Amino acid sequence: MSLLQKLDAARAFQDQLGQLGVNAIGATIDVAGSATEGKIDGKRVILAGTNNYLGLTFDPACIEAAAQAVRTHGTGTTGSRLANGTYAGHAALERELSAFLGVRSAIAFTTGYVANVGAISTLAGPGDIIMLDADSHASIYEGAKLSGAEIYRFRHNDPADLDKRLRRLGDRCARTLVIVESLYSMLGDVAPLDQFCDVVKRHGAFLLLDDAHSFGIMGENGRGLAEVLGVEDEIDFVTGTFSKSLGSVGGFFASRKHDVAPLRSQIRAYMFTASSTPSVIASTRAALKRVSQGEALRAQLWKNCARVHEGLSSLGFTLGAAPSPVIASLMDSPEQAATAWQALLDAGIYVNLVVPPGAPKNLSLLRCSLSAAHTDDQVERIIEGYATVAQQLFDQPRAAATAYA
Amino acid sequence: MIVYDECVAEIQALLAQSHAGGSIVPPESDLIDELGLASLDVMELIEALEDRFDVAFPLNELGDVRTISDLAQRIQNLT
Repeated sequence: MSLLQKLDAARAFQDQLGQLGVNAIGATIDVAGSATEGKIDGKRVILAGTNNYLGLTFDPACIEAAAQAVRTHGTGTTGSRLANGTYAGHAALERELSAFLGVRSAIAFTTGYVANVGAISTLAGPGDIIMLDADSHASIYEGAKLSGAEIYRFRHNDPADLDKRLRRLGDRCARTLVIVESLYSMLGDVAPLDQFCDVVKRHGAFLLLDDAHSFGIMGENGRGLAEVLGVEDEIDFVTGTFSKSLGSVGGFFASRKHDVAPLRSQIRAYMFTASSTPSVIASTRAALKRVSQGEALRAQLWKNCARVHEGLSSLGFTLGAAPSPVIASLMDSPEQAATAWQALLDAGIYVNLVVPPGAPKNLSLLRCSLSAAHTDDQVERIIEGYATVAQQLFDQPRAAATAYA
Repeated sequence: MIVYDECVAEIQALLAQSHAGGSIVPPESDLIDELGLASLDVMELIEALEDRFDVAFPLNELGDVRTISDLAQRIQNLT
């Protein structure tokens, strides 16, 4: 068997997606223009699939900070954090992030994916155990694989199942890192994090929370689901991203209970990749300030979530979870999802098309993500776009989606 | 102590429900190439077997598992 057979297989997969009749690998946004409207294929659309939860990509203070930084420091650092890639801005961001989260130390990474891969693969090693939620993000699976630890899965968002599987490990729990997410990116469902904390504590294991999707948007102060549930002190490690509520790119690894700073010289994904450009760090710092005073933004976001969730439910869509900034409509098949996605785009609404194996349980989804920056008018236009799709869809049987619900 | 034959029978029964259209397939059947399981399906099969035999099966072991027989032997070795 030739090495190149993998290319043939990949091409066959792309052809299969192409037969759905849409550019399923991802539409190209020609111009963003604002946090909520852009141009795709020359057509103006409402952006409702960009994870831009607080709309900070076009916040004037963030843009100005980035522009000043690029003039002062240039376009890139051209080096890793351990070599020539640590600027005063990187260190300041880590201090500000630590103060915001109330953690002992925080390490900034070039992307959220890299933060997970780096932190997980370094925290656990051969002889250790990683116990992860079955619906974990790819970066968590990759970090686990790279660690050399034994890997086990527990059923998604199921504390009783985690309890059972930790019991089977016995005294090896002391070497076990349990990994959960706060808000899951595909279906928009939220973890029973307080219950997970209880189970992990009872067995003497360690808990890492990937807070990519609730950071900035949940909690009175925006510190995420753990703040809402009052369990921040129970969590051993937190990872997160700058590319959702903070509107830039990057990631972090932090802890209230342990000092993670010494791991800087151990995490290969930190040591051997270029650091974030100064402009990215500058806009992230400005965005963090906005998040820390972002009660009004969060209130607007959740108001938008509730309205779209209600609107789509009323139209007959089967939705993945209770209202959250991720509202996934479950489709019966990849073909139906692709057709609906194209119809939505034609109606001027851009969302994400998700086909197997992109989502749990091989589901096909229309994944809408909302922003505080969506105006009331845009929210209504999003629902109207879905209404157009609903008219086309709901005279057909909906076996798969109904079965899941 | 898990008996190999019992383990094979359990896997065959689970696969009969999910992928083999009600049929009992031979232990030499390849899970992916012959029975068409996707990687997610394999992991769900493992979860069911862990619960059935009350064992912990590391996903790292999956790399060498191709057939029902391979999987049964791995599970037998866990005890």
